[in-house]
Amino acid sequence: MNPATAARVIDDLGALLLLSMIVIIAASQIARAIYAVAAQSLLIAIAGAVLAAATGNRDLWVIAGITLAIKAMLLPWVLHRVLRQMNVRREVEPVIPNTATLTITVIIVVMAFHLNASLGSVRQSITGNALPVGIALTLLGVLVMATRRKALTQMVGLFASENGIFFTAMSVTAGMPLIIEIGVILDVILAALVMTVMVLRVRSTVDADIADLDRLRG
Amino acid sequence: MRDGTPIPFVLLEMSLLVVSGPLVTGVIQKLKARLQGREGASVVQPYRDLAKLARKGTVQADTASGLFRAIPVLVLAATVAASALLPVLRADPPTVPFGDALLLLGLLSLARFLMAIAALDAGGAFGGMGASREMTIAPLVEPVLLMVVFSTAIAAGTTEVNALTAYRETTWLLAWRASDFLGFAAILVLLPAETGRIPVDNPDTHLELTMLHEGMLLEHSGPALGCLTLAAHTRQIVTLGLVAALFFPVGLSHGTGVVVVSLAAVAFAAKVVVLASYLALVESSYAKLRLFRVPAFLGIGFVSALTALALRIL
Repeated sequence: MNPATAARVIDDLGALLLLSMIVIIAASQIARAIYAVAAQSLLIAIAGAVLAAATGNRDLWVIAGITLAIKAMLLPWVLHRVLRQMNVRREVEPVIPNTATLTITVIIVVMAFHLNASLGSVRQSITGNALPVGIALTLLGVLVMATRRKALTQMVGLFASENGIFFTAMSVTAGMPLIIEIGVILDVILAALVMTVMVLRVRSTVDADIADLDRLRG
Repeated sequence: MRDGTPIPFVLLEMSLLVVSGPLVTGVIQKLKARLQGREGASVVQPYRDLAKLARKGTVQADTASGLFRAIPVLVLAATVAASALLPVLRADPPTVPFGDALLLLGLLSLARFLMAIAALDAGGAFGGMGASREMTIAPLVEPVLLMVVFSTAIAAGTTEVNALTAYRETTWLLAWRASDFLGFAAILVLLPAETGRIPVDNPDTHLELTMLHEGMLLEHSGPALGCLTLAAHTRQIVTLGLVAALFFPVGLSHGTGVVVVSLAAVAFAAKVVVLASYLALVESSYAKLRLFRVPAFLGIGFVSALTALALRIL
């Protein structure tokens, strides 16, 4: 695959990534948000494979494979399991209305593109819109974490944000060293496992969700 | 005068659209029935309904003004005029420039506006409610459609639908740029709203809690109702045709030979059927949204369209 085609495909994938992010933000049911984040991870894996084919970087193939196996399959499966075990209301409970979140989404996307225009010399190795898309994804993931009450949906936001960082790193550096990527992925798995255990434990001992734990007592 | 599609041919395309509008509704209803495990009415049922309405007499409210009587015709006229602006068979622009995508969308919203005015004019409670609901949804749908058109128009450098289609046709193979994916996603979200279908509206109901578009038609009867129904059919096929023209500009002919034109007709029918089956599928698999949830649903389309524009401009 020649670099020009790869750049275009990455561009298209970036658009689809943004779309999946919009679906995550707008999803009214937790299960749908989980499916959307799985689809997003799948797109990230495809982007990694495309970049690998274009640059001939063998590490990227490994990373794409790991992303596919862990972020597109294992973690969504874990989330679904927790969702079943927790036996909670299936609706997403946002802190602010969904329309307000969508408005902030627009602002963030436009700002990310604007920021990208002013970056100038940083973006020599990157073609197309990969960098602003990555920045927007990262920030929107944080937005999801900030505007959701349930720990599960906050985890979805964390994964989405991580996907954004991953996409940014991939497009800026044309593949980070394998060891760093593996370290990052291990971090995410650990975070997911710890949060899962925490969520289930908190629930089984005090029967409360994370959102209720907002007051300190001496 | 310039080279391009002669006026009689444009008129032929227009009448083709208007005539096949009810058929599309029939196909959607048939598909929906089959998906739900029913036999369903024949695909020509909408024609029979129109013929029935044309034979009936007109009854109208005492409070209604003369405007009320004129509006069904005006609505139909605006919608039919909009259908003349759409490239159906030939990609070349008409010899006399008729108008562009903005005029097309403007005529459609003019029709919507007139319908709402008539609903208020009759003085019925349902009409007012239907109008108010329709006008709540409209500002969420029309700007999105405009933005999607813009996001494709910027690349082509024109808003004339024929020129847009012709431009995109030349760059068809793998020509879906990043912003087109988002634009198409926005279209998929707002197609049910624009054609008055579930999850935004329910075309089959006359229950006061659920109807949007039908609420505005309640006071009309006989041939006037027939006009409005035909306008709704036409509006639907024009919207589907616009999506086909913007996103799937293949198969349009460049001459007036019988073979190429019939090929183009087959291609157009195929595109419309695909979009119609999408609508039938959505209608069969989703429940109608609560009215207050609709803005959040259409918000997805809005954000997608705006992102598409951002990808194109910034």
